[in-house]
Amino acid sequence: MKAALLALLAILALAGCLPTLAAQSAAPPSRSARLDSIDGFWGPKGYRLELSQGVAIALTCNRGGPCTKLRVTADDPSIAEVRQASLSRLEVVGLHGNQQQASALVVIGKAPGSTKIRVRTGDVGQDIHVTIVAPPITNPQTAVTR
Amino acid sequence: MRILLFLVPLAGCGAGGAMRQATIVGQCAADDAACSRRHPMAPLAIGTRFHPDISTEIAGTTTPTLILDSADPHVLAIEDGALLAKHPGASAVMISTDNGSVIDFIHVWVAPITKITFARRDGDRIESAIGLTVGEDVTLVPTLWNGAQRLAGSSDATWTVDAEGALAVLRDGSADRRRLRARAPGKATVTVALGDAKASFDVEVVP
Repeated sequence: MKAALLALLAILALAGCLPTLAAQSAAPPSRSARLDSIDGFWGPKGYRLELSQGVAIALTCNRGGPCTKLRVTADDPSIAEVRQASLSRLEVVGLHGNQQQASALVVIGKAPGSTKIRVRTGDVGQDIHVTIVAPPITNPQTAVTR
Repeated sequence: MRILLFLVPLAGCGAGGAMRQATIVGQCAADDAACSRRHPMAPLAIGTRFHPDISTEIAGTTTPTLILDSADPHVLAIEDGALLAKHPGASAVMISTDNGSVIDFIHVWVAPITKITFARRDGDRIESAIGLTVGEDVTLVPTLWNGAQRLAGSSDATWTVDAEGALAVLRDGSADRRRLRARAPGKATVTVALGDAKASFDVEVVP
């Protein structure tokens, strides 16, 4: 009973709050794709994303269920590009067991630098402070065999 | 039973996308064991092309019309639906529907070629000189390596032979395979070059 009450309070609190984001894919070896929340008193008030150039990361948006009417824009698409994604997975909405398709986006590291991605759902949203880092230098190798 | 459990993951030899919705494999003939495009899990060799065959595993739908594009075209470009390896590194290949919604993506690595070896079409590796009788032919495929790592991608390598009277090098329609036909008794050295890497082997033609 206590657990159910806490869950209800949590859902009610989330319903009025900012959306939350969650990473849904991992970075390839020796590359970066890390999402960190900037925590405020009521929950995340923003996000930091460190991404390597040439790497992509999938994120989901949630606000008491999958975000509705998701709009995503990047301040500088030449540094980080953002696209809506289609993630074929159902997530629970509310208390009555209904499910809706996950709301997803993908961020692509285009060039080293910093920019901001704005994620909006309804009249609220979150900003992602994105830093694109250069990939490590690869030594060119050549050889002659016989 | 243990062997069966071990074999199950090997059956799905394609590379799975980061969102676990799409799979990418190379386009190869069923009986072509040496086909370099069979290895989508391997890095692509610089200067080669990889012709992908993409399918999705989304409940309730067949594979929609898909578009490929590269996160870093400097490393990996997309040309006519093929992946073209250009510079060392890694780039996400974005798999999207025709309205731009991303279905999945996969990070593809590109590496330089450090070694070239040769194999017959059945995959048997050429370890020493080849002997042929006049009129006989053999089809060879170059295999590309970066150290111990086999590389994927079909190359349009340059094949040269120092004694064209003894041996002819013929194209067979694929970018990388060549058919060697023995013309007259003698010895020849065949050299294959791709980028800065090259390799050669000897052929002896007997009556």
